[in-house]
Amino acid sequence: MKAQLQIYMSPKNNQLFPGFKFVKSSGGIEEYTLQKNDLTVLVLEDHSAPVATLMVTYHVGSRNEAIGYTGSTHLLEHLMFKGSRNFNKEKGTAIWTELQNIGAQINATTWNDRTNYFEVVPSEHLERAIAIEADRMRFAFLRDEDRQPEMTVVRNEYERGENSPFDVLDKNIWATAYLAHPYHHSTIGWRSDIENISTERLQEFYHTYYWPNNATATIIGDFNKAEALALIKNYFGEHNASKNNIPEMYTEEPEQEGPRRTVVKRAGQTGVVGVGHKTQEGLHEDTYAFQLLGKVLSEGKTSRFYKTIVDRGLATSLLMYDFPLKDNGMFITYIFLTPDTDHQTVEDIVLEEYKKIINGGVTKEEIARAKAQTRASVAFSRDGSYAVASALNEAIAIGDWTFYTTFMDHIEKVSTIDIQRVAKKYLVEEKSTTGWFVPKTKKMG
Amino acid sequence: MFQKQKRWAEMGIFKKQVIINAEQEGLKTLVMPTGVKDVITFAGSFLGGSLFSPETNRKIAPITAAMMDKGTLSKDKYTISDILESVGAELNFSSTRHHVQFAGHCLKDNIETVIQLLAEQLRTPSFPDEELTTLKTRMVGNLERLKEDTKQQAMISFLRSLYPQNHPNHRLTVDETINHVKSVKKHELKRFHEKYYGLGNLIFAAAGDVDPIQINETLGNQLNGWGEKKTSLNFKGLKARLNKENETKIEIPEKTSMDMYLGQAVGIDRDHPDYYPLMMAIYILGGNFSARLMQTVRDQQGLTYGIGSSLAGVSFGSDGYWSTWGTFAPDLLDVGKNATMEQILNWYNTGVTQEELKAKKTTITGSYKVSMDSTGGLTAQILSNAEKGRSVEYLDQHPDTIRRLTLDQVNSAIKNYIDPNKLTFVAAGTFTDE
Repeated sequence: MKAQLQIYMSPKNNQLFPGFKFVKSSGGIEEYTLQKNDLTVLVLEDHSAPVATLMVTYHVGSRNEAIGYTGSTHLLEHLMFKGSRNFNKEKGTAIWTELQNIGAQINATTWNDRTNYFEVVPSEHLERAIAIEADRMRFAFLRDEDRQPEMTVVRNEYERGENSPFDVLDKNIWATAYLAHPYHHSTIGWRSDIENISTERLQEFYHTYYWPNNATATIIGDFNKAEALALIKNYFGEHNASKNNIPEMYTEEPEQEGPRRTVVKRAGQTGVVGVGHKTQEGLHEDTYAFQLLGKVLSEGKTSRFYKTIVDRGLATSLLMYDFPLKDNGMFITYIFLTPDTDHQTVEDIVLEEYKKIINGGVTKEEIARAKAQTRASVAFSRDGSYAVASALNEAIAIGDWTFYTTFMDHIEKVSTIDIQRVAKKYLVEEKSTTGWFVPKTKKMG
Repeated sequence: MFQKQKRWAEMGIFKKQVIINAEQEGLKTLVMPTGVKDVITFAGSFLGGSLFSPETNRKIAPITAAMMDKGTLSKDKYTISDILESVGAELNFSSTRHHVQFAGHCLKDNIETVIQLLAEQLRTPSFPDEELTTLKTRMVGNLERLKEDTKQQAMISFLRSLYPQNHPNHRLTVDETINHVKSVKKHELKRFHEKYYGLGNLIFAAAGDVDPIQINETLGNQLNGWGEKKTSLNFKGLKARLNKENETKIEIPEKTSMDMYLGQAVGIDRDHPDYYPLMMAIYILGGNFSARLMQTVRDQQGLTYGIGSSLAGVSFGSDGYWSTWGTFAPDLLDVGKNATMEQILNWYNTGVTQEELKAKKTTITGSYKVSMDSTGGLTAQILSNAEKGRSVEYLDQHPDTIRRLTLDQVNSAIKNYIDPNKLTFVAAGTFTDE
């Protein structure tokens, strides 16, 4: 693991590739820049299975949206499958067909800080995936006749989310916690924006953010590096860098000066409690202490919340997350109540456990266990080309892909004092946003 | 251009790389070393799933499995969890219709510890009273939540329409399941454990940075002397109800999206010669995004986020079913159903094309390779194949089985097993009219 902390500034065996500038390597992953257009390229050869993953991550997410066009990053992601110059239905080369017919796993996801498109392919088909991603980077059709039916598809995705008490409560908590910053709205966006955003606005969004100098292409798996980089140069090298600078999102969330609450009442069977606290940006050193604190509180049957809540029959399950984000994130605990449990009882237990950590910290045994759990999960994040690409994708999103390769080294340095310090700093009432999903007593079918 | 990858494609990877022990004392291990470093994924099973529960209470088997991590005669739940969590390992127990299953992963240095614990948990569970009470409370909570799950409610109703009670594909209502959970007694669990948990048909599969000799020796030592159970599958007598046109609407208030199931029983299982032709026909209709339903009802008409079609419930001698599932906004349900039916009728009346068959053959054979990307995918494939009593060579032969399918076989299967005039339709959610 120690080797992963080292970041090398010259290529292995001093190997050079025409058209590329070596930037650095870490954890076996090498970073290059395609000199023609500043596309960032990450490569890791791994011949464990006859499979390769290509992932293109654009540095744009719902964080780059505002009122009137929330959800546009996501809607645009859908339209990116509707055809581009060389890959379209008219030519008999539709993207889904081209890739699924060779057995590829293919999809795209949008989140707060990034949009990613990926293909997991039998490795002899890597070129096809590269050709498609390069083509739609600058030549996507984005036609109004495609947006209209896709809008209702996305609206049904939104409607499905609204069926879930958890999804609804999660949206409400973020909307309550963030007033100015665009983390206020979820990636799917508000319904009226999904319905009314114009094709022209989506095209504008595309022509602002979809450029090689605002993207990272990652290739992991069973390929030859020299050949793969040649393919990247051949296909992505067609594009120029953007003429204009990629706009920065500059809105900052004002300091929260008191606790906030939200309640959602809908037909349902059982309640949900969510307790969130604003935290630091993902690349801040405090992130690592929070990652361990999350495990102490909620991972496994020895965790504090499992013992004090689930084991007492007060909840069917719990979920905690504190995904590292580009800007300040949230440390949120969700408790799914059993039928006879009241919300306040569980909320009080959560806050009491936070107080215990603020006042007494965590034990050496707890932190050792949390580190072991993290060590194993880091090892498993190398199990398969998609697993590596997927983990890298989130590190790219927050601004530094070596967050992935150096993560465990930072975790090893966290002490019990660090965990107590971050709990004192962030898990305070003034920074909290609490939400309840309260089922209305309507008879279910 | 990639010579090495061509070699991969030509290899019988499973036959060459999966190491199988001789079936000793009712235990079969299948271990596949791969190039991944440090990690091992494992999974295993034996007969003793919910179908082996007494007919009066189908939850005895799943609750017995769920109690495996609640304590042994020498270790309480927290001691067990601490052993696993202190090395970052995971070990979970569950129950399918037919099998008790366990699955987990760990770093290679800890595999012996995890296997020792697995064996102890399976052999000497203590079934603590207070753990059973808490487990039942949590299960009831989860089941109550299922009442507002539009997809689950539609699926349960769909399968109840197709299959009689005690058929492997039948489902209990949520309220029936809650009653079964509440009435489970500790002595019933102990009796069930005594009857079904043991060697005989135990399979252990693992993939990753694994030493087959170490696995075999550790398992052999830990399971030595565990009693052998003569359990076998015997559910072939029960058949689906006769198909007929049938419609059910389940009202669930304040839901913004509805779930629809549409389909019928097909009368054959996975070992029937027509299974693969019919599976292929249904895959072309709705097996993935580039299949007909997603390309038309979603991509062209924009009526749904998700729609698909599959052949299921065909394992271990069960006569299976074909189902088409989709989600629609409440005011688009009728339009969505009609659009789906239009595709089904077109598929039934004119069959599939040679071009579609060719494309889906490469999809399925390519997917086989892609599924090798992780130890989890490999382990799942190896275990599932072994549970069906098949050799590992079957996995290598699977692509050829698919390649050999002819257009006539596939289109004949549609005519022989599908009757669009006798479809069961179920929708669950908030209806906009009537």
